[in-house]
Amino acid sequence: MKDHKSHKLKFNPYLEKLYQSDKPLIIYKVDNGYDIYTDFSKKINLTKNNIHRFLNSFEKMKYKKETDQYVGFFGYEILNYLLGIKISKQSKNSFYKGVFYKPETIIKIRDKISVFSNKKKQEFNNYFKPTKILSPFKLNIKYQKYKKIFDIFSKKIKQGETYQIKICTKYRNKSSINPINFFWRLMKSNASPESFMIRDKNYSIVSCSPETLLLKKGNKIITKPIAGTLRRSKKTNRSSALKFFRNNSKETKEHNMIVDMERSDLSRVCIPGTVKIDKEKYVEEYRHLYHYVTTISGSLLTGMTVKNIIKSMMPGGSVIGCPKVRTLELLNQQEKENRNIFTGSFGYIKFNKDMRFNIIIRSILNYKNTSEISAASGVVLDSAAKKEFNENFIKAKSLLELFK
Amino acid sequence: MIYIIDHQDSFTWNVVHQFSQFDKVYCSNYFEINKSLLNKSNTIVLSPGPGSPKDYPNTSKIYNKFKGRKKIIGICLGYQQILHCENAKIIQQRRIFHGYQSEVKVVSNKSIFRKNSKFKVGRYHSLKLQEPFTKENFDITMRCAKTNIAMAFENKRDDVYGFQFHPESFLTTNGKILIKKILQSKRS
Repeated sequence: MKDHKSHKLKFNPYLEKLYQSDKPLIIYKVDNGYDIYTDFSKKINLTKNNIHRFLNSFEKMKYKKETDQYVGFFGYEILNYLLGIKISKQSKNSFYKGVFYKPETIIKIRDKISVFSNKKKQEFNNYFKPTKILSPFKLNIKYQKYKKIFDIFSKKIKQGETYQIKICTKYRNKSSINPINFFWRLMKSNASPESFMIRDKNYSIVSCSPETLLLKKGNKIITKPIAGTLRRSKKTNRSSALKFFRNNSKETKEHNMIVDMERSDLSRVCIPGTVKIDKEKYVEEYRHLYHYVTTISGSLLTGMTVKNIIKSMMPGGSVIGCPKVRTLELLNQQEKENRNIFTGSFGYIKFNKDMRFNIIIRSILNYKNTSEISAASGVVLDSAAKKEFNENFIKAKSLLELFK
Repeated sequence: MIYIIDHQDSFTWNVVHQFSQFDKVYCSNYFEINKSLLNKSNTIVLSPGPGSPKDYPNTSKIYNKFKGRKKIIGICLGYQQILHCENAKIIQQRRIFHGYQSEVKVVSNKSIFRKNSKFKVGRYHSLKLQEPFTKENFDITMRCAKTNIAMAFENKRDDVYGFQFHPESFLTTNGKILIKKILQSKRS
């Protein structure tokens, strides 16, 4: 919140022109500011036919300058495809399975603003897209239906088929949104570390994702799984939240499981003995909630490709459940609607194979005049259906508030 | 060489890294076994995994084929798989242990570990061994200190070992030593 104000974004005429134009652009939160990507020279719509080619292409590329990278997202379905897991009989809207953009301009907003561009001249078409809300939000599944899926999964847990599984619910309304306006409002109230925004001609995504799935620099790779959510109130603070998580055996067990799973996902691509827990079980604070987080890192084996790493880490385990493959199969049998971007990953791949990816949660997808907000919470043996159902609401709340 | 059979678990690569500290390791999916490497290996590890031993008939075949000829170590589902092949019943338990840290105790003086020693371990299991279970040469060597559920067996004559808990979990305090001792132990 503070860093947003100190950048005085409103007073930068260049950025203002960019925001008020029809140019596709992407904003990604970084530690001490934001990166803006625009002037896309290539746009790759990922499909089953080109995803392997796209991922393999990084093995031959040379990194010379800042703009030598692709930025974009993988949807849930294409990540399943990469793992060879089928999704059957889902109602689909025709949203993209994944899109990556090659930027020719990157604007870094830190204490000051710096622009890296391969374009000599910047042109802007003035365009303003107002936000229109045409219908109130509706939840795609009612509690009874949720409870039914919950009970099926509880049984699967007893049978040892899965240890933990996440059920997704969706809020939907009819609306068109101004994503720039939504994003900066969201950053004022809830600037989560993996926040991002995509504005393209025919869709937009606004996200306050808190979760870093992978950060790769050179041969060092880090993941920061989140498992554990506590509603924030006037009576709670960071240390009381930590106490709550530590003393709550359900949250602790759920978290332990995710930590072991992420250690294993990293180990598949790392040198034996290098996978370490850097920071175990700490609390991060957000507008409406607290999260329980662990940082794990490792050193990559030589010769690991972009594809190896992505297949090992995605879809991010903490939003799926455990063990990943069997749990994905169970989920895909029960969930009748395409998750689209939800629990996919957004980020960049540089031409030197450095990467950063989040897990796409806490996001609004606006496409064909519909806004969609998904949330998921975990079924483990001790969870209560009603509580988990309500947890989904807390997770979606800061996004739903943007529509007020 | 150690051959780890992966039952598509999300913990298997922790197992791989743990065993890699002692020997060369090869790991494959249970449905993509490299037979020549399996034949060459001197130790076979049956990984954890979802479901129950009945779901993995090929792993049972491999166990039956190599029992007594190679060292075989089962972890969680792998442990149940071995017991299942030895005609034990694997059943659902009322309380389920996923992500639990509990204390286990060495209960047998035939164990390669010191009797009555206790340590903390990570557990992820819905199913358990139905007791009483008796089978020649198989000793239940560890139990949960609280619930008394069987947590490990040793069969030194055939060089077969199993853990219901996860030695590779970050919740297990001395998993490395456990594995080291098992790998070093000689058939008797």
